Amino acid sequence: MDLYLASVLTNMTLIAFLALSAYLVLVVGEVSFGQQAFFCIGAYLTASVTALAGAHIVWGLLAGMLAGAVCALLLGFLTIRLSGLYFAISTLCFAELLRFSLLHIRFTQLIDGREIGPDGPEGFSNIRWIFEHNYAVTDFLLLAATCLLILLVLLFGLQRSHLMLAARMVGNDPVLAQSQGFNPHRYRLVFIALSGAVAGFGGGLFALFNTHIEPAMFGVMLGVHGLAYSIIGGLGTPLGPLLGVMLDIGLLESIRQLAAYRMILFGGLVALLLVFRPEGIASPRLVARLRRRWGRRRV
Amino acid sequence: MFSLQGVSKSFGGVEVLKDISLTLHPGERLGITGANGVGKSTLINIATGFLTPDVGHIKLRERTLTHRPAWAFAQAGIRRTFQTTRFLATSTLGEQLLLVARTPECRARLDALLQSSGLQSSLPLFADEIPLPMLRKAEVIRGLAAQPEVLFLDEPSAGLTVDELHEFGGFLQQHLHRKTALVVVEHRLDFMTMVTDLVVEMHLNQGLQLGVGGC
Repeated sequence: MDLYLASVLTNMTLIAFLALSAYLVLVVGEVSFGQQAFFCIGAYLTASVTALAGAHIVWGLLAGMLAGAVCALLLGFLTIRLSGLYFAISTLCFAELLRFSLLHIRFTQLIDGREIGPDGPEGFSNIRWIFEHNYAVTDFLLLAATCLLILLVLLFGLQRSHLMLAARMVGNDPVLAQSQGFNPHRYRLVFIALSGAVAGFGGGLFALFNTHIEPAMFGVMLGVHGLAYSIIGGLGTPLGPLLGVMLDIGLLESIRQLAAYRMILFGGLVALLLVFRPEGIASPRLVARLRRRWGRRRV
Repeated sequence: MFSLQGVSKSFGGVEVLKDISLTLHPGERLGITGANGVGKSTLINIATGFLTPDVGHIKLRERTLTHRPAWAFAQAGIRRTFQTTRFLATSTLGEQLLLVARTPECRARLDALLQSSGLQSSLPLFADEIPLPMLRKAEVIRGLAAQPEVLFLDEPSAGLTVDELHEFGGFLQQHLHRKTALVVVEHRLDFMTMVTDLVVEMHLNQGLQLGVGGC
């Protein structure tokens, strides 16, 4: 496979994790501008576990995922009484707080003659696991894509589950959900924690692929893009956020003639969609209609 | 027994409810009427946990629910319907009803209710494809399937013709469990005399003892 194509596809796969994590928060009716924080936490954790502690990437990725989930849960608890704009702002603040804190965290060790570890604004270099284990770009793409596929299968399995339907009710009409005995806080915390896990895992892969991470990579725009992909793609199915990723990274960023106009086209696309399809391309309504048309089983 | 004791509620200095008490024994059916703005909806909102009273207590049996959130009221068996029927636009009626049937018994009750309601053909539809009388029925089915201790209906007649309302009332009477207490807030007296034992009228700022049994 062409190296450029492989790296574009890998990039899309990695950002898809971020988009899906934003999607999980949107499902329970909240908007998060801070998913990049969990992505960042996952990246640093995976980097530390593989490069500093020398563990296998399985442990690295699991640690990243767990750290993402725990931090998200913590943020969820702290913001339990906030919703709408206030929740969005607090997630943004959290992410920026983390990013600026990382500028001051230095913990490097000399391993095999290289300085390894988080080094303030210089970031974390020499995350060499995939080099040391002779992973080609395509091998890594295969790994990342497989992980994404597993995540999608899990999310599709959840799609018609009681948990997901109740969460959607909480997200769409919290008053109705409460009147039916569903505790909105509980569903919110579960989904925010899940979103943190997904972002943390994706961040871990991101660190492994890039071999170097630094705080500046996890700025607000990263989170805004992740969010925008979900909103463009629609919340009806986990494929919605992927659609957003494909449109932006797959088309706009990767085709050289378009790349210069990317932000103009992307911004325009978001504006058009908000006017004509405010619920995204694969809106819940559209997905439900398609399911009904092709549904095997009618309740 | 479900009771509200000495409940008062103000909104920004306007006292909407003043020293209201409500006592309901299992199976009692109470109708509440009154002019617009006397606090009928506020009363429902307080009794179902959607608003917290400034003063007073809410009890189900010996359990105090006063400062609990609305979902805890619902879980304890205090259910309600809304003035405007409330369904999600993004899933079918069937999915939404199934979602609420969390236990096998509840599911069985739901199936039985659906059987006799004539709603079955509407189950694969979305709420905005279903006529209002059907939605009203679906909403009350959602409440009845949970076999609540108390069921509050907030203006179930809104938007229904006389015939539709009659049919709705008949359905309700037929399927209301004999131990479920019912409170209907309504303007239509014909409907209330049909489904309730007693109708009381609320007035503004008046200490009231509401109830059927008189204790």
